[in-house]
Amino acid sequence: MITFRHAEIKLSETFSLSQISWQINDGQCWAITGPNGSGKSALVAALAGEGELRSGQRDLGEANVAVVSLEEQSRLIARERQRDDSDLTDEINEGTPVQEMLDETCQDFELQKRLIDDLGLQPLLERGFRKLSTGETRKVLLTRALTSKPQVLVLDEPFEGLDVATVPRVAALLEDIAGSTTLIMSLNRLDEMPDCTTHAMRLESGAMSQQFECSDGGQAARLLGQISQIRSDIQLPPPETDIEVPLNADGTLVALNKARVAYTDNLVFENLDWHIKPGDHWQVKGPNGSGKTCLLNLITGDHPQCYVNDISLFGFKRGQGESIWQIKQYLGFVSTGLHWDYRLSVSVRNVIVSGFHDSIGLYQKATDKEKALADAWLELLGLSDRATDSFSSLSYGEQRVVLIARAMVKHPPVLLLDEPCLGLDEANRQLVLSLTDRICEEGATTLIYVTHHDEDKIHAIGNVLDLGNR
Amino acid sequence: MANYFNSLTLREQLAQLGKCEFMDPSEFADEANYLKGKKLVIVGCGSQGLNQGLNLRDSGLDVSYTLRQSAIDEKRDSWKNATENGFTVGTYDELVPTADVVLNLTPDKQHTAVVTEIMPLMKKDSCLAYSHGFNIVEEGMQIREDITVIMVAPKCPGSEVREEYKRGFGVPTLIAVHENNDPRGEGLAIAKAYAAGTGGHRAGVLLSSFVAEVKSDLMGEQTILCGMLQTGSLLCYDKMIEKGIDAGYASKLVQYGWETVTEALKHGGVTNMMDRLSNPAKIRAFELAEELKDIMRPLYEKHMDDIMTGAFSSGMMEDWADDDKKLLGWRDETSGTAFETQENTSDEIAEQEYFDHGILMVAMVKAGVELAYEVMTASGIKEESAYYESLHETPLIANTIARKKLFEMNRTISDTAEYGCYLFNHACFPLLQDFMKKQDADVIGRGMGLNDNSVDNQRLIEVNADIRSHSVEAIGTTLRGYMGAMKRIV
Ligand SMILES: NC(=O)c1ccc[n+]([C@@H]2O[C@H](COP(=O)([O-])OP(=O)(O)OC[C@H]3O[C@@H](n4cnc5c(N)ncnc54)[C@H](OP(=O)(O)O)[C@@H]3O)[C@@H](O)[C@H]2O)c1
Repeated sequence: MITFRHAEIKLSETFSLSQISWQINDGQCWAITGPNGSGKSALVAALAGEGELRSGQRDLGEANVAVVSLEEQSRLIARERQRDDSDLTDEINEGTPVQEMLDETCQDFELQKRLIDDLGLQPLLERGFRKLSTGETRKVLLTRALTSKPQVLVLDEPFEGLDVATVPRVAALLEDIAGSTTLIMSLNRLDEMPDCTTHAMRLESGAMSQQFECSDGGQAARLLGQISQIRSDIQLPPPETDIEVPLNADGTLVALNKARVAYTDNLVFENLDWHIKPGDHWQVKGPNGSGKTCLLNLITGDHPQCYVNDISLFGFKRGQGESIWQIKQYLGFVSTGLHWDYRLSVSVRNVIVSGFHDSIGLYQKATDKEKALADAWLELLGLSDRATDSFSSLSYGEQRVVLIARAMVKHPPVLLLDEPCLGLDEANRQLVLSLTDRICEEGATTLIYVTHHDEDKIHAIGNVLDLGNR
Repeated sequence: MANYFNSLTLREQLAQLGKCEFMDPSEFADEANYLKGKKLVIVGCGSQGLNQGLNLRDSGLDVSYTLRQSAIDEKRDSWKNATENGFTVGTYDELVPTADVVLNLTPDKQHTAVVTEIMPLMKKDSCLAYSHGFNIVEEGMQIREDITVIMVAPKCPGSEVREEYKRGFGVPTLIAVHENNDPRGEGLAIAKAYAAGTGGHRAGVLLSSFVAEVKSDLMGEQTILCGMLQTGSLLCYDKMIEKGIDAGYASKLVQYGWETVTEALKHGGVTNMMDRLSNPAKIRAFELAEELKDIMRPLYEKHMDDIMTGAFSSGMMEDWADDDKKLLGWRDETSGTAFETQENTSDEIAEQEYFDHGILMVAMVKAGVELAYEVMTASGIKEESAYYESLHETPLIANTIARKKLFEMNRTISDTAEYGCYLFNHACFPLLQDFMKKQDADVIGRGMGLNDNSVDNQRLIEVNADIRSHSVEAIGTTLRGYMGAMKRIV
């Protein structure tokens, strides 16, 4: 049993939870919802014993608690980086193999075997943990948590980043252990609320605004009753200058011919032809590990094998003397990798301004015009009051929307959004989808969009590239 | 081969030692264009080789790698690094003759062998580039007359060189042209384009000479950077144990103490580091540092003299020829010291406590930085070089101790630095024994524990004036100002 009574818990200089009164009995299954920045992750951290109790009570009992969260994921990746001495010893290494990561916490090797099969982890076992895609990393964390045989399992966004085929499998796993294991989940998408949900709560500005018992996930979703508002009234701030984009000789923006990505032990894809014409918006889909991120990185130039492929974009054939910055000036880009790389102390406004310069961090003074445009975007995002705060003080979801604004700020000829809604609450999800719709309608931007969620629809998209089924 | 520096006249020696200027960003308006369409072949694909190559290619340059035959046959890491990143890899015979610029990024110790082997294969009127000048200056490597010889030395580890580039920035970089080998007068244009190709021009470029780079680099690394921190770690730890301080605490205070106090140094020089102490502690640290400087000055001077005469490098090269016997012996010795083997306490030490309980460490950093700087500038090295090779780099090395203590620091730094560090430690450790006998835990481990922080005004004014008026503070303020203009905007 876990009990909070009128607890006030300080998690950082800028964030506290207040008035938390909450009792979790063995075998219950709780769903926690609330907007980005309301404190869902903070509550998960508080359950793991973090933060300073300023008043009230917090009794976490004796239970063995396992946590799966973006924070946990970042912590493990940071640990990998720490172990990786390549900057010290000048050796390059792959890091801890997946199998070793799984064994580290495992109490039940039977179950581990089953989960490896169920989640399709077999081909990844020898691979370095750091080298996995977002979805693959998630699967490893889930397997670690489940096989540690916890009495309490805390899942921050259990389905985030998983492909369509995996979501029902994980849902089924949760159904299996519900009742015998206490489950606490935070969820942004109400339609993903598992059937085994017995209780739900809603957070708002660090405090509980709603708490009730329910018969199943569907009922909880109805009671939490969020109606998504599609925003048709949105006006995007204008670009700083209109960008003239050169086309390839065949009239395309981007052309990949017989693209191939392979590592010594692993072929990601080959024989991929893809031609993108101005105004032809594309969705890219495919299971975790099918190479969606690799493909996008070939276009952005972040994948080193772009130099051994036949790729033309914006009138440049790659590897013929153009610099990476000549390519990036025509691109806007958001992905989990970029989000990870953006761990710098920079103000929120300057993160948006950095979109004009294609840099991570800002290295020249922002002009008045750039600042004004950045502020107009912040207003649209409802984050005006955070303009001068440090980017790292925002919640994960808030950081995401800021990065999306950074990608859109110059109205790039090509906009690449790799799972943009990851970690977003309902309202921000609708906002981002509306912004994306809008920028497509304006006509200067061609969209390449990766998502696992069919419901996160962009209306302008007319073409689908399915890497799982070519 | 004869030591190059020793072959110069005094006039030439002074001119080269005294060369170091901060280049105006407008000098790089042409970015990497001078090298566009030219063929760059990198020898070696280690930390600098791989990461510089990735940056140069992303800047639109034509980069490939040549490795020794065994690395290709055995598919060693260097081969994998180059291949998986989509570079062409070939033998010396295949690639060197095609190169307009050959970038020698193998370990310094191998340079003579590598350069001797590739030079006959190099195209007429091509260019040979280094990232460190030891081979040219200390070993006196003679390069064919038609070949241009330059240096582009990023002042950071390779991984950092890449990370900063990807962000759209770079790392501070030193460039130089070897006067003897600039037959067409294009050395500077190539060096500037190469520096721009690695992104260095965005973070600030110093135009220096091979001689100044090598002599100041050697001096800095063996005295203040690695030597002083190693000797200081061992002495401070042993003193705390002798005075009954908990061993886990002592170990942690030393391991992270250097990083914490030099972080203050990085932001605001010696002045700021000293200002972090209470007034009585500051006066105490000042007096300790004065005493340390008096004791150690002859040793610092000896290191500088041996570097200048070439005695240091010939001694080290003898050890190379002797299968690194001395180096390996010293390395073993370090890994077995009490400090190195002690586990840290898990208790937190507050940031300020590292200063309050580490007065002696602060004094050692002050003494070491100022001495190294004073001795270098007194020997004809320019203030800018002396600043970079002493104060500027101290926090970088302190950071490696914070990560995994001395053994790791020594593994990280170059073999040359490691050898010099042990050499220094062997002389300095005994030299400071009498001084250490007089010290108690109030200056290391426990703090002064005063209820009353009052000091004599007159004395405080004198001490402050003395700290602030040191020449390393003036040049530091100027250079940090330049670099500040090229820093990330928060
Ligand atoms: N590390 C730094 O922080 C730093 C900073 C500035 C400048 N530098 C300078 O950069 C240069 C390279 O240093 P590094 O740290 O990058 O070296 P490193 O990581 O040790 O890389 C050395 C590379 O050279 C190859 N190599 C070793 N011995 C060789 C030989 N006898 N013949 C041919 N190739 C050989 C190695 O490949 P195989 O063994 O597989 O053949 C490896 O690819 C040095 O001059 C150094 O002073 C280093």
